[in-house]
Amino acid sequence: MEKTSVKKDIVIIGAGMAGLTAALYAGRMNLNTIVLENAIVGGQIANATGIENYPGFMTVTGKELIETVQKQAENVGAVVDEFDIIERLELQNETKLVETANYIYETPVVILATGMNRRKLPLAEESKFANRGVHYCELCDGHMYQDKIIAVMGGGNAALDAALFLTKYASKLYLVHRSQFRADEITQEKVKQNSKIEIMLETEITKLLGDTRLRKIEILDKNTQSSSLLDVDAIFVNIGVEPNTALFKDQIKLSKRGHILAGEDCRTNLDGVFAAGDIREKEIHQLTTAASDGTTAALLAEKYIAKLREVN
Amino acid sequence: MVKVYSITQCPWCDKVKKYLKSKNVDFEEHNIENSDEDAKACEVLSGDTMVPVITPDDKEYVVGFDKTKIDTMLGLQ
Repeated sequence: MEKTSVKKDIVIIGAGMAGLTAALYAGRMNLNTIVLENAIVGGQIANATGIENYPGFMTVTGKELIETVQKQAENVGAVVDEFDIIERLELQNETKLVETANYIYETPVVILATGMNRRKLPLAEESKFANRGVHYCELCDGHMYQDKIIAVMGGGNAALDAALFLTKYASKLYLVHRSQFRADEITQEKVKQNSKIEIMLETEITKLLGDTRLRKIEILDKNTQSSSLLDVDAIFVNIGVEPNTALFKDQIKLSKRGHILAGEDCRTNLDGVFAAGDIREKEIHQLTTAASDGTTAALLAEKYIAKLREVN
Repeated sequence: MVKVYSITQCPWCDKVKKYLKSKNVDFEEHNIENSDEDAKACEVLSGDTMVPVITPDDKEYVVGFDKTKIDTMLGLQ
């Protein structure tokens, strides 16, 4: 079946905070805007159970926050399509093409807001036990381990939040991290106060063992260099994230860390292509800075489109 | 009637439900956190309690949001 071509003013790739904020601003400027998302609307924060550092809210779940931003964007005319699959981007020319399973979008502006994916556990046995004891989404899969022993791997805020969340299911939880915690003090204190959590710092997970499911993990105490086995029913991996650039990494300049090189104006090396949120190379990656990037990208995209219309 | 086995907080369950609604597919939601009977039925069907699980007949099923497989199983375009 031949795909239908559709003209848009702006196509936004990624429906996280940056992408949806860009859609909100673009919609308010009467720009014909679509947001495409191959995974989950909200991105990483879809899993956040309690956000306490987003201005305007004492505490809010990721789901509540992102649903509100999506509604705001849709109320001003932006379309969010999370079911069509993005297959290919062509970003070099003045008219950019975004090909999905169903359509070919033609647009002068693409805003890349694809965010980050969780880093996989770098052990050979990972694929054998994936979804059979090795998990990456505590919200989705935690319920499978009611009254079981769970390990969480990682030392940042996301890992500690995951550990705290999973104690509602676990009879016992090991929080394993290869160095010292990077999470903020308030979260660290909550973890230390939780009687179900045993903290294991300076500890590496070196091997996964089991039959059809994960049964044990081998851990290495980095101070004593001694290895031992721990009985666990599951491990939830939270060892950081990596930029999601698969769709365009050959077309756009990336930093050594794999993020898109773009300044505070969110402009990339390609005219009409903007980068917003965690995907952009910058020192601070926060929900607030993602919203800020979305705002900047949309406002400058509007100026870019206005200039193109003057010329043409 | 199509059944969706789900839990309360689950972004992929939400996505499946939104997708079925967008395709006007009537479905029953079975929250396995709220019902031991549903949890058992989910496990018998798929061999696990991973969700979401979508089934039209308690025989065929798809685990997770796999649009192509769901479309094929339910005869959607």
